[in-house]
Amino acid sequence: MSAALRITGLSAGYSGFRILDGLDLDLAAGRITAIVGSNGAGKSTLLRSLAGLLPRGGQAMVDGRVLPPGSATAAVRAGLILVAEGRHLFPRMTVLENLQLGGWLLARPERAARLERALALFPRLGERRNQLAGSMSGGEQQMVALARALVGRPRLLMLDEPSLGLAPRLVDEVMTLVRRIRDEDVTVLLVEQNVAKALAIADDALVLERGRLVASGPAAELLRSSLVRAAYLGGRR
Amino acid sequence: MRLWIELVVSGLITGGIYALVAMGLNLQYGLMRILNVSHGEFLMLGAYLTYWAYLVMHLSPFVFLPPLLVGLFVVGLVVHRLCFRRLAETTPEVEAFEARSLLVGFGLMFVVQNVALLVWGADLRGYQYLAGTVSIAGVGFTANRLVAFAAALVLGLGLIAVLRATLLGRAVRAMMQSPTGALLVGIDVRRLHPAVFGVGLALAGAAGALLSMVFEISPSMGEPYTVTALIVIALGGFGSVTGSLLGGLLLGVVEAIGMHLTSPSLKMVLSYGVFMLVLITRPNGLFVR
Ligand SMILES: Nc1ncnc2c1ncn2[C@@H]1O[C@H](COP(=O)(O)OP(=O)(O)OP(=O)(O)O)[C@@H](O)[C@H]1O
Ligand SMILES: [Mg+2]
Repeated sequence: MSAALRITGLSAGYSGFRILDGLDLDLAAGRITAIVGSNGAGKSTLLRSLAGLLPRGGQAMVDGRVLPPGSATAAVRAGLILVAEGRHLFPRMTVLENLQLGGWLLARPERAARLERALALFPRLGERRNQLAGSMSGGEQQMVALARALVGRPRLLMLDEPSLGLAPRLVDEVMTLVRRIRDEDVTVLLVEQNVAKALAIADDALVLERGRLVASGPAAELLRSSLVRAAYLGGRR
Repeated sequence: MRLWIELVVSGLITGGIYALVAMGLNLQYGLMRILNVSHGEFLMLGAYLTYWAYLVMHLSPFVFLPPLLVGLFVVGLVVHRLCFRRLAETTPEVEAFEARSLLVGFGLMFVVQNVALLVWGADLRGYQYLAGTVSIAGVGFTANRLVAFAAALVLGLGLIAVLRATLLGRAVRAMMQSPTGALLVGIDVRRLHPAVFGVGLALAGAAGALLSMVFEISPSMGEPYTVTALIVIALGGFGSVTGSLLGGLLLGVVEAIGMHLTSPSLKMVLSYGVFMLVLITRPNGLFVR
């Protein structure tokens, strides 16, 4: 089920500003790849352009199939699902309705089955299935966003700072969950401020600076590298 | 007592029409920020087409209603494609888009109105349909008004049911509540926007069809309904379709009672008074918690 992603010459940005310019990137299927980089490096821009929320140039191939740029529907259909910064839930709908909409592109039986599985993964959401999403706490909303993405049958799940605003205990919970998702055969692309925790669970890692990849390799190696330690872990060179 | 029953029931009857027009416009505005000031013109179009079907093809308004709804839905797809799609693509900023959609709406208004003038002329027209009297609690109402009210209520409640209980309806609400969220779950916004615009026009057309059963019609009949719809939307809350249904019924009753206590010529003053009062005291609408 998990998908490999190959990006060649990807460019993306905002009216006038080109943030990413000719980015090449290969993601192996079934692994967690963490992307680290300072604020404004272009991490969210990369994820948003892959999800079809932003226009982009260059080519993105999912398991050898070209993904048309600029179409969010095509991205979701290909299994590229983004849990974006800011969650973007449907606040005046119940948790259950939010999750159902996560399976918008699926046939009814599969949607129902995946919804049950997502609820099993997040027992707390099951208890609150009839609560309005907008009335939940920040952490709970993050869970809903994650569960909603899982209902959509992701093959490559992109997570943009899933731990933002969560209590430390919840952060660990989310990280454990990310590993479980990978173990259920989903490729994960993880952007995190919490570099130590992200690298601890990731298989591979990339360092993005000012729109360029400046380092990549196994996460354990990058965790030890002096570059990453100095820039993101507050260590000394 | 009889007087009050009469006032409330006639208020509800007019309010039902208001509700239909406002629900359609609110869908368009709430979802796409299209300030479609030509909305009332499609009400007028619905009224004339129903009149024409009755006169020429001897079709009862209710038999003609389904094809009318489908026809105006298609007109909506075409109008959206020709006028608003390109505008949305070239104007990403919401405020600029609203302003420009307003101008396009004025343009459409003149086009549709003048086509109607050309085809049907400026005279008042009408036909007799279910003109008998039915009495409710001792007060007599013409049957066509009651039937029109029932139909407006069925259509309004039907739309709400679809929006709440079906996945497609929830997708439409999802697009209103979080456009980005809708994209993230794969809802094809480029396909659903024109469809929702079409549903809006169909509702306006239905309101026109119902009106034509009760009142005489003219090419300029649409404009006041556009204004009233905007007031109802403010009453019920921008983007809230249920609010528009309640707001429409409420405005109808307030107008009926207000006109009785003052004078029928003050109808618009009353509506605007309610409008301003709500904007000042409850800017998010009466029914928003
Ligand atoms: N909507 C926008 N319009 C214009 N510029 C933008 C917009 N969003 C982001 N940018 C710019 O693009 C650059 C990259 O932003 P991006 O959000 O991708 O960074 P990031 O790596 O995700 O940073 P962070 O870690 O703070 O989330 C930044 O310089 C930012 O100012
Ligand atoms: Mg970011």
